[in-house]
Amino acid sequence: MTRRLDVFVDHSRCVGNAMCLATAPGVFAHNADRQSEVVDPAGDTEEKILEAAFNCPTGAIRVEVDETGKRLFPRAG
Amino acid sequence: MTRTDLDDLFAPEVIADPYSYFAQLREADPVHWNERFQLWVITGYEEVVWLLRHHELFSSAIMKHSTSPPYPPVDPEDLPLFDEVREFRGDQLVEQDRPEHLHQRGVVHEYFTPTAMESWRPFVRNAVRELLDELEPLGRMDVLTVFAAPLPVRIIAQMMDVPFEDRDYLRELADSILYMNRGEPWRLRPLTEGMRGIVEYAAPLVEERLECPGDDFISILARGEKTGVFTRHQVLVNTGLLLFAGHETTMNLICNGLLALIRHPDQWDRLRADPAGKARLATEECLRYDPPVKSTQRIAAEDVELGGRTIRKGDRIRWIMAAANRDPSAFPDPDRFDIGRQPNPHVSFGSGIHYCLGVALARMEGQEVFRALAERFPRLELATEEVEYQPSIQFRSLKSLPVTWTQGDQ
Repeated sequence: MTRRLDVFVDHSRCVGNAMCLATAPGVFAHNADRQSEVVDPAGDTEEKILEAAFNCPTGAIRVEVDETGKRLFPRAG
Repeated sequence: MTRTDLDDLFAPEVIADPYSYFAQLREADPVHWNERFQLWVITGYEEVVWLLRHHELFSSAIMKHSTSPPYPPVDPEDLPLFDEVREFRGDQLVEQDRPEHLHQRGVVHEYFTPTAMESWRPFVRNAVRELLDELEPLGRMDVLTVFAAPLPVRIIAQMMDVPFEDRDYLRELADSILYMNRGEPWRLRPLTEGMRGIVEYAAPLVEERLECPGDDFISILARGEKTGVFTRHQVLVNTGLLLFAGHETTMNLICNGLLALIRHPDQWDRLRADPAGKARLATEECLRYDPPVKSTQRIAAEDVELGGRTIRKGDRIRWIMAAANRDPSAFPDPDRFDIGRQPNPHVSFGSGIHYCLGVALARMEGQEVFRALAERFPRLELATEEVEYQPSIQFRSLKSLPVTWTQGDQ
């Protein structure tokens, strides 16, 4: 029933604030530069992933539906 | 230049022009032990970012760890007041390390996200318009006192959801708390009065919002008390933090940014050609070029190797965003003010877990202000030969910014 999501972190924006790691620890982890990487886009619920994206202080996280490519965050407009 | 010269962080020429001084230091010794002030001064971009992203190695609990007296020195009879300052600041969110920091930031983080802040844009735009409508017919103003100072207080008062008529009193409190950053030997008196004032002012509001919570900032903090994350004192001093952190920094962004635009008429003309389209990147460049906060402190939580030097546990560290933002290894032609600069990964909001909580609000205030000024004024002239800065190593604060303009120009 759960749809697959694609989750992207824009490293030109990510400042390693790490709130996404606290919100969706199954999805995000820090790399050697202490920037977020997506380790498993299915590692947490859609709700938690969207919460992490919404709460990113630099708007570095993009979330799409894998099958349709529809963007869930940031919302268009 | 001798070693002693390199260590005088408060020399008048360093306060006037920190960029030349810190550039020299960055080239000579990017991880520098300052013998005179007994602290490390970190000026390289790469070193600053690394430090900020390794929060477990560098504590933010300055007040808890540091025993250094206030500097510049204060009247000896006022020294006991410094304990009050320590207690106030030590309980603020910015002075916490993990795990407490994560829990406390978690309470307020959502309130300040870019998406959440966007809903404030109409209010901010309107506040800017109201102030400028009053000022425009005058033909002159001290930007600092009549525009850059009242604007953030209006916005913060609204976020605290306090009565309209309390705005002037909040402004008074905010002005007192600005003494945190001054050099006057008597400054602890107005500062502690302001701190006591905000605690007394906020106390009944917290009681009220615990009973009937709204969606304002004090209610959010009060909710943190209900869930056991904050003590009452922490709720009160963090209300003060919001007032203070959003005040001086925004004033400096507006004044330093506008001064850079006035001094670079070609860049002002670029902005004027498309204020709505160019305000976003222009604000980032203002933040990079002459940041509101020049430097911040940390304390080494353990022995750390950085840039080939060994920083010992307990050592004080000052990292200089005003230097990192001009590092040629991160920014091509770093001393050039270019309102279209992109990418612009400045560290004026810090980096890592302590990255500025109010970033989205600050950016929006800058964008709305620079856009409105460019839309309204064909040309602003500096009405003074020289500008002066407060003698602070932390803040890049002008003492005033008098400007004039001709009305009716097209």
